[in-house]
Amino acid sequence: MSLKFTDVSYTYHTVSGETDAVSGLTFSVDEGQFVAVIGPSGCGKSTILSLAAGLISPTRGRIERGGGQFGYMLQTDALFEWRTVEQNIFLPLEIKKKNTPEMRKNAVELAKKYGLEDFLKKSPAQLSGGMRQRVALIRTLAAQPQTLLLDEPFSALDYQTRLAVCDDVHDIIKSEKKTALLVTHDISEAIALSDKVVVLSARPARVVGEHIIDFGGGSPKKRRESSRFAAVFEVLRQELGI
Amino acid sequence: MPESFKLARQYAANNKIYFKYGQKNRRISFKFQIGGTICRNYLCMGGAPPLCEAVRNTLMKHKKYACSLQHEQYLKKIRRNKLIVHAVRAAILLGLVGLWELCAQVGVFDPFITSSPSRVASTIADLAAAGTLFYHIGITLMETVAGFFIAVVLGYAIAVALWLNEHIRAVFEPYIVVLNALPKIALGPLIIIWMGTGYTAIIFMTVLVSIIVCIMNVLAGFVAVDKTKQLLLRSMGANKFAMLVKLVMPASLPAFMNTLKVAVGLAWIGSIMGEYIVSRAGLGYLIVYGGQVFKLDLVMAATFILCLLAGGMYAIVAIIEKIVIKRRG
Repeated sequence: MSLKFTDVSYTYHTVSGETDAVSGLTFSVDEGQFVAVIGPSGCGKSTILSLAAGLISPTRGRIERGGGQFGYMLQTDALFEWRTVEQNIFLPLEIKKKNTPEMRKNAVELAKKYGLEDFLKKSPAQLSGGMRQRVALIRTLAAQPQTLLLDEPFSALDYQTRLAVCDDVHDIIKSEKKTALLVTHDISEAIALSDKVVVLSARPARVVGEHIIDFGGGSPKKRRESSRFAAVFEVLRQELGI
Repeated sequence: MPESFKLARQYAANNKIYFKYGQKNRRISFKFQIGGTICRNYLCMGGAPPLCEAVRNTLMKHKKYACSLQHEQYLKKIRRNKLIVHAVRAAILLGLVGLWELCAQVGVFDPFITSSPSRVASTIADLAAAGTLFYHIGITLMETVAGFFIAVVLGYAIAVALWLNEHIRAVFEPYIVVLNALPKIALGPLIIIWMGTGYTAIIFMTVLVSIIVCIMNVLAGFVAVDKTKQLLLRSMGANKFAMLVKLVMPASLPAFMNTLKVAVGLAWIGSIMGEYIVSRAGLGYLIVYGGQVFKLDLVMAATFILCLLAGGMYAIVAIIEKIVIKRRG
């Protein structure tokens, strides 16, 4: 078990009042599993990732984290434009005080493996949106986390880039054998990428359904081409109440 | 060296054109000479049309190394427009100075009241001959530069402290607002009594005038740093210090450079204001003294030098800004 939420609730406070973001949330992510959480926009999806990452503590309930570190990937690539691609990839190493020659070498090798070799010395501004997001993923992987938390990492991209990057990220995460928790509002993205889809209600978020997705041999492209895609899509759509 | 480029070189060699080829940072540059004109890179190939045309056509095969005639004309037009702006600027300055001189010479103005460019020039020459010119310039420059540096360094440090602790920021905010609004010259008498009549008082005044804006601008730059990037660092487990060093300081560098530009102007206001209140030397002293004894030539001369110095110091900061921003990528 890599990550387990048991009856988790979280309430956040502002001067104008308090809001229940999630309420009685129970689900789990197994080792090596790719889990997608979908829900209507503003249902507290990002809160779930912040809870999973330990940036905030649940108001009630329990979160169990298996071994290994967590890596966070955000909606925008958040690359530091004053650093080269390589320096961006080293950022988590510097922050986590793991900036050893060995770790740096690993990070560079990872970047080379996934086609960033020619871009290492370039500035992020010289890269396309898709390439930037790939750099963001390699940066997340550089500190060798066991579990990746993905917060709508494709939402800032245009549709065509998005499809390509979506497949790209999936392949890299699978071949690096990482556990992943993705939150998104995009139903087709969730089906294409994940082994399990967790459907949430509107705020305060509760789990309204869990679906194991096992058709199409685990490739996003094959999934989208599969005849079962539309049927699963319809089921999820109804559960979301759209 | 790419094939078409070799052809161009061959062409240049056949036609006895001076040709030099270099490669640096993956950019290829070349240089060749037609008649007396040296052509560099691809921007100025218009020298001898038929010859250049041939080289250009060969080079055009590699877009990077040559540009089309249209593009060249476009670049030329931009250069010409730039030149016109500079020429008009110079003409306005020369015209005004000339008119001033003329009016003073023919008696439209009384040069005793308005001075004149030639009188300003001879005043400066006299001051230089007497050896006091550079003494006064030196004093004012020292006060301004010292005040500027103290204000920037101290202002930056205070901004960091305020950023690090939100409580401190909340506590001090109204004080900063009031200090910013207060005309610092009102503190003149206090400063003289506390600090004496030497240049420490003037440097203190300079710091006082420029530091608040430094604090506020730097802090605004810190606060404006992208929230997503902050979240990213937090998710990596960064503490406040790491956040400051890795993200907030580099991200707010453009805002800081802007602050420097504003601070230069304020430092000059501070030092001259300080010299108005209390001083025995400096350009501000010359201006006040000149006014009191009705030596308008001296007032104008000091003002003129002040213009040059302030412009020069601003230019230095602007150049540093350009270099820093360019290096940052």
